[in-house]
Amino acid sequence: MELNPRTTDPQGFDYMANSGREEQDRDTCGLILALILVLSLTALQYLGLY
Amino acid sequence: MSANAAVYEQNRRSFLSSLYSFREALPGLLAMLFIAVFANNLPGVPNPLTLENLFYWLDGVIGPLNHQPFSKIMNSNFVWNPLLLGLLIANIFGVPDAWKRGLSYIHMLMPLGIIMLAPHFMIFHAFKLGAAPIVLCLASLFITASLTLLLARWLKLDDRQGSIIAGGLSTGDPHVCAILMPLIKAKGGQVVNSLAGIIVFGLLAMNLLPLLGSWLELPEKYFGLAAVLGVGNGHQALYAAFDLGYEAGRYAQWFDVGRHVVMPAGFLYVFIVMFIRQRRYQSDPTVLATRGINQFPLWLGVFIFLWVLAALHLFKEPAHHAVFNLVKWDFSLAAGALGLSLSWRDIGAWGFKGFLVTCIAGLIRIVLLLAAIAVCVKTGLLAV
Repeated sequence: MELNPRTTDPQGFDYMANSGREEQDRDTCGLILALILVLSLTALQYLGLY
Repeated sequence: MSANAAVYEQNRRSFLSSLYSFREALPGLLAMLFIAVFANNLPGVPNPLTLENLFYWLDGVIGPLNHQPFSKIMNSNFVWNPLLLGLLIANIFGVPDAWKRGLSYIHMLMPLGIIMLAPHFMIFHAFKLGAAPIVLCLASLFITASLTLLLARWLKLDDRQGSIIAGGLSTGDPHVCAILMPLIKAKGGQVVNSLAGIIVFGLLAMNLLPLLGSWLELPEKYFGLAAVLGVGNGHQALYAAFDLGYEAGRYAQWFDVGRHVVMPAGFLYVFIVMFIRQRRYQSDPTVLATRGINQFPLWLGVFIFLWVLAALHLFKEPAHHAVFNLVKWDFSLAAGALGLSLSWRDIGAWGFKGFLVTCIAGLIRIVLLLAAIAVCVKTGLLAV
């Protein structure tokens, strides 16, 4: 597969490639952070903190 | 498995390994941060030197077009401003290798931003419209998406690009092109090419629709509904409506909530159709949309769950606005990274076939929509 020099570093890491275990881990990070932010902001409102 | 995937597996300790070390990620994160804060007026950042403010100033020079700012008609917003800035930086100066680990955070930011969008779509906001306009909004959404996917197939357009166009055109919200990117596994060039096609079609449609509306003598109230559902983006719809008349423009703003709250149904529909197709035709090399996704993404399930909670009115107004401010931050950072990844050639390489599909699907939608609204007005389903 041809590498895109704009997105690929000398070690062959392509920042736009997203697959396999790495993709699952990134999804997990995004999911956990989203839940923390949405639920904490909602809880803060219900608790009358803003 | 690629060499890099094997290295990742070998060094992985937990899911947090995908964030790499702070030292590796910092340059890319700073690049995204600076692009974001110089592109948009982001909540909490008192920076006046932004692309958004430059466009605002230029809009003042150009003057309003049917009450709409020119930059908004051209789809300037918190996603496409940083994308444009990233695109300019990458094509003039290039992308330093040191940025690339940090820029890969785009893949974490996309699900993060999409999940946080859920509280934004409060279905009860649309109840004031009544049943018939909501049914028309839903029919327009699903018929346009299905029609675009079929046309893309008949015209042998790459199915990833067809899906992106189907999402962006059917929802009347070009943000959906970016939202569908990780779900469809589309290339960045396909997303920007599709977006450009939808915006150019919108420019044609916003001038054509008022002529057809006058010819059909549609009541201004319901021409507002036609404009909301039949053009390219929100400001193009308002341009078309105000072009016919002031009442039509005011009613377009009134009806827009109906299009807006059902928007998630549009991108979920496109994803689910293409995902089922991919699972059914796994050995077909021409089926590329959603390729690599082997099960329904958990984070999309969480989005749907939160969307249901939003429909049940769990997220009250202040929290919903606070969450949406974070969405602006999130998509601004991600769009900067996407812009940096693209060359002009990446965008142009996908040609004009996507634009052709957009125009045919969009014109058929306009005909069906005007016919449906005219029939509903004649039969009294839409009360004048």
